[in-house]
Amino acid sequence: MEEKVLEILEEYCEEALTYDGDSMMEDGIIDSFTVINIVSELEEEFDIEIDAKYVVAENFKNKEAIIALVERLLEE
Amino acid sequence: MGEMFRRVVVIGYGKATGNILKYIEEQKTVYGYSLEFIEHESHALSVTKKICGEMGIPYANMPDKQELAGYLCDIREKTLIVSASNNFLFPAACVEKENITIINFHNALLPEYPGRNAPSWVIYMGEKETGITWHYVTAGIDEGNIIIQKKCAIGLEDKAFELTERLMDLACEGFEESFAAVMEERVETKPQKFAPGRRMYRSYEVPGEGVFELSDEPEAIYRLLRSVDYGKSAIFPPLRTVVDGVQAEVVRYRKIIPEKKKDEENAVYLPLGENHLLKIKYRHVI
Repeated sequence: MEEKVLEILEEYCEEALTYDGDSMMEDGIIDSFTVINIVSELEEEFDIEIDAKYVVAENFKNKEAIIALVERLLEE
Repeated sequence: MGEMFRRVVVIGYGKATGNILKYIEEQKTVYGYSLEFIEHESHALSVTKKICGEMGIPYANMPDKQELAGYLCDIREKTLIVSASNNFLFPAACVEKENITIINFHNALLPEYPGRNAPSWVIYMGEKETGITWHYVTAGIDEGNIIIQKKCAIGLEDKAFELTERLMDLACEGFEESFAAVMEERVETKPQKFAPGRRMYRSYEVPGEGVFELSDEPEAIYRLLRSVDYGKSAIFPPLRTVVDGVQAEVVRYRKIIPEKKKDEENAVYLPLGENHLLKIKYRHVI
């Protein structure tokens, strides 16, 4: 799963792979439009629904947060 | 030249607003105004507050329309209000004040597609080209004289959010090109010519009235799906259709090559052109 998430990030925001901070949105690594693309890809890849309540900066603060979000949703 | 603008107030949200704020802040040394930002609509992924913090721009959150209207009407200095990606309608009392000039960014080529959600409507209508308009604000919605317009093509695969992003970038370009003329009040404006029966697009209107039939042309369905696609922003309700005689709402969609077709529950596949399929994932609704 992790590998697939990283592949998606590589496609839409390569910088996210090497980013080691905890606020990609505020640090200008990704913007809201990139997040829409990433969410769409994650939903398709893992056949999950990412509700709007999860699409917040906290869940996209770095690659680890995105992986954790997908893990949570796959367990639901 | 008469009295200069002493104060600039920016109202809006999103990428364009953030970039415009940065640009106006940079130009402060040229014109000597004070700058402030008002957030009227908050968004989960907004970074404008952070930009204000970093650049020392006074920030206020004013979700209440009456409070915002009252605040603006109380302004006494000569002020330029920059409305960028902003859905607040300025009351006539504010628009008509002699010391206040308001400019607004509209995400279409006025006088076409006035009102809300223009990127959706141009995709839905199958337009080949759209653009942005900066105009002076008058009491009528999107009716003021044009300051600058910039055009862009609409791609055959463009989704509403993608087009919106491009238009925001164009809005920033147009703003930077015209800012000096606006500040120095030397804009050669162009009045809008309104066709009889000009349609105003309202926030409650949805392309295709939000429904389609699986027997419709797949290209038309795809266009409709793309036209309301703002990711998770609930700008429009989910599109509806009927699957196996039962009402269903679209969960997501995707143009795929046939090799990517999977046996999946609650998914229909329609032929799209010669080489693709339109996958529509749905859920039944009671």
